[in-house]
Amino acid sequence: MNKDVAITGSFGNFFHFLIQELKPRGPWLTPFNIISIPVILTGVVILCFRFIYGLGSVTNLSQETAWGLWMGFDVVTGVALAGGAYVITFVVYVMRVDKYHAIVRVTVLNGLLAYSFYGAALLFDLGRPWNAPNPYIGNSFGFSSVLFLICWHFLLYMVAEFVEFSPVIAEWLHWEKAKKVLKKLTLGTVILGITLSILHQSGLGALFLMAKPKIHPLWWSQFIPILFFVSSIYAGLAMIIVEGTISHRVFKRLIPPQHHHHFNDIMFGLAKGAAITMFVYYFCKALLFIHDKQWDMLNDGWGLWYLVEVIGFVLIPALMFAFGFKHRSLNIIKIAAVMALLGIILNRLNVSVISFNWYADVHYFPSWQEIVVTLMVIFSEIWVFRWFVTRMPVFDSDH
Amino acid sequence: MDSFIYVNIFETKGLEYLLLLCFWVLFMYLVRYLSPTPKNSKGKKQ
Repeated sequence: MNKDVAITGSFGNFFHFLIQELKPRGPWLTPFNIISIPVILTGVVILCFRFIYGLGSVTNLSQETAWGLWMGFDVVTGVALAGGAYVITFVVYVMRVDKYHAIVRVTVLNGLLAYSFYGAALLFDLGRPWNAPNPYIGNSFGFSSVLFLICWHFLLYMVAEFVEFSPVIAEWLHWEKAKKVLKKLTLGTVILGITLSILHQSGLGALFLMAKPKIHPLWWSQFIPILFFVSSIYAGLAMIIVEGTISHRVFKRLIPPQHHHHFNDIMFGLAKGAAITMFVYYFCKALLFIHDKQWDMLNDGWGLWYLVEVIGFVLIPALMFAFGFKHRSLNIIKIAAVMALLGIILNRLNVSVISFNWYADVHYFPSWQEIVVTLMVIFSEIWVFRWFVTRMPVFDSDH
Repeated sequence: MDSFIYVNIFETKGLEYLLLLCFWVLFMYLVRYLSPTPKNSKGKKQ
């Protein structure tokens, strides 16, 4: 059936079109499918156990360690990695740097899916998930809690990102009038989205302010919200480089030829931004280290672990980004981006999981079920991402 | 006679000021390093 006729015709045709679009396309026996399908199915079974028998049946969480891998990776780390959307929309729509227009749609889609999946993953970790709507419906708002801010920001930011992405959906459905109206909302939504992002990226850091006695002093600081915000900028940029590189290879046929020419230039621009942001972040860490007079703490294993994170996964990738940009080496930039992402994962896990209760005799280590559910969330997001990019004009520029 | 008292830089804000100075010097250098160098500027003048 002709696509235009299907969409503009009767409701029956439109419904038929949606059903056709929901059907899987392409070969089934791909390496990604072979790995991801069993993991997702196992994850679903584990989640059934978790909701029937409780958190204790599938996780290694306890009264002492209430936050584990699901909170530390899915929420605290995942949100940082989704920071690319607010950075790129700021650069394109506020700073008017047209060079990055080609990656706006795919970056916003990534951000939208990341927030949707990681926000949903938060429900797995709540002991009483049915109380999750309380901050929204007014049954105990909890004004004094940082989580109140984060709850509302997650919701509002997801709506903002959906509005930013909605012209693509309208274009997919050939709703030209709706697309024009939705495009007019973009700038306002982008400004709202950037404001929300800055606040909740730092808000996630503020969650840990009250845990001073529990977090190792090398990772706890009164400026942790600022550190979380600054690091989310380069985390987002590194994520775009990694995701862009993979998409450029996997979805090559879907990318317009003119975007192929700009690809390297965009990557170099992102690397430059990441180098400068990481440099600023590194000095913030150094300044706080000296301010808190933490020299003695470097003598044990925790100190070495701290140096691995700060030098190995912040300073070195920052220098690699700068070197790669100067010498036009895309390979160095890609390696630096992977290292920067590992550094962000390490930092967020250090704050929320690894150095949490660092003095305890028995340390928390995630159960295999927690790891499988985390992988399930990541794979599910990739499945949905793949569905969007193979149906909608995600890789096209919006102007 | 009063002896000269050395200030321990580790117990003052001295090290932080030094680090900030280093930051701005290095930041300026980094921005210059990452800025595109004008090609053939001599040729343009001629």
